[in-house]
Amino acid sequence: MQRYLSAAVLCAGLAAASPALAESCPDGALAAMPERMTADGTTVAYKTTPARIAVGKPFSIEVVACLHGADRTAPSKIRVDAGMPAHGHGMNYTPGERRIGPGHAAFDGMVFHMPGTWQIVVDVYDGDTRQRLTRDVSVRR
Amino acid sequence: MTGRRSVQALLLAVAIAIPACTAQSADMFDEDEIALILSHGPWPVETAPDPSNRLSGKPAAIAYGGMLFESVELSTDRQRSCATCHQEALGFTDGNPRGFGIAQVDRNTPPLFNMRLNRWFGWDGKSDSLWAHSITPILDAREMAMTPAVLKTRINDTPALARGYRQVFDAPPAMHDAETVLVNLAKALAAFQETIVSGRSSFDRFRDALAADDAKGMAAYPDAAKRGLKLFVGKGRCDLCHFGPNFTNGEFHDIGLPHFPEPGRVDKGRYGGIQILRESRFNLLGPYNDDGLRATAGFTRYVRLTPKNWGEFRVPSLRNVARTAPYMHDGSKATLADVVDHYSDIPEDRLHQDGEKLLRPLKLSDAEKADLVAFLRTL
Repeated sequence: MQRYLSAAVLCAGLAAASPALAESCPDGALAAMPERMTADGTTVAYKTTPARIAVGKPFSIEVVACLHGADRTAPSKIRVDAGMPAHGHGMNYTPGERRIGPGHAAFDGMVFHMPGTWQIVVDVYDGDTRQRLTRDVSVRR
Repeated sequence: MTGRRSVQALLLAVAIAIPACTAQSADMFDEDEIALILSHGPWPVETAPDPSNRLSGKPAAIAYGGMLFESVELSTDRQRSCATCHQEALGFTDGNPRGFGIAQVDRNTPPLFNMRLNRWFGWDGKSDSLWAHSITPILDAREMAMTPAVLKTRINDTPALARGYRQVFDAPPAMHDAETVLVNLAKALAAFQETIVSGRSSFDRFRDALAADDAKGMAAYPDAAKRGLKLFVGKGRCDLCHFGPNFTNGEFHDIGLPHFPEPGRVDKGRYGGIQILRESRFNLLGPYNDDGLRATAGFTRYVRLTPKNWGEFRVPSLRNVARTAPYMHDGSKATLADVVDHYSDIPEDRLHQDGEKLLRPLKLSDAEKADLVAFLRTL
């Protein structure tokens, strides 16, 4: 019995250590997004709900990302945050993720609590490698 | 000159004077400033009942909440009610630097105007609803020092309060467990407090006159207040945090005030508030939220706890601010002039090293300080 357990633990360990199978880029969803940023072969497209970000009001951001390697694969993970570089602070809320599909997720609970220039930060991961893309957004009172 | 000619001359003079006033008011503010000023209204703001409180907006509950607000039966020693510290004549504050119930508390007693517009309650935002926040002074050992069990007995044994409870909740308090009675009372108290809305101010009349290009209305607003308003939305950058019709972003900032209520003891501010919020059974993620879908709980679900929250306190509304002295979370500023002095000479070294770069000394002249105070008095 103990031998079976050891084998099971070994298998689980191997599975965790193996790179996950890369999934294809969500090209259809990517094309449908109104906003787009590209850096070093990676594309991130997004939309916010509501479309116009109002100061102090919660909104969601739906993000689609694609790593433009030879195989054009979806990233293993996406993270979204935001801050006001000129003020030296971030958001007072940590967005909650809803995974929609490979390279496709929505983040709820975003709030820009002051007027001015906010920077949306999207981190896309290829395994342990992180690439950061940013977009400045002006929010008025 | 005949009487008719005199009247004609007077009308002509008025006709000439009015465009001059219009030009004076309009010229004082550029297009961007006018847009910012208009964003502080209109007032009052239309609000909907609070989905987390089934009693919100219900007349019977509002009446019962008003009775509870005045009742000393909510305090363990029967010596104080909510109205003892939240006195209408003092803008629903007590006029003291720090509140005093059975003992002194660490912070200034906040006014109760326009509470339906708040997202967080208390200087540290430890409550995410007005009803949850209404529980805190009842149970706090320094304020009313009540326990749910004693409170239930008090309500049951006080005929007017027991009768009111039955009318609002369709059952006598004895039929409910003590915690349910506590929450029910807090929800009635919240329903009452939501009805305390500040009236239209001299600023609101000016703002609406500006929106309507009404020269006479604009001319009625004092020149010093106009100059102060220009500072408020301009050089002072006050409206980066005090924005919108309620003059607050409803969030938390460190403005360089000391946060030691007494030597050796720290007021953790927002940091402690988030910790208390997350542990509370009464938060909007808990069992007492009447909003079954928990759509009201988004801010509570996503709120972020970081070291920068140390020493942060809630940005208060500035409506009726002239009536609610003293100021700041610790009541350390006796007058509006003291508050303006603070921002004019803000001690940058007191701000967190990793704090916001937003605040800097405004270096206002004496005339500018007086104008800013004149403006604040019109809110």
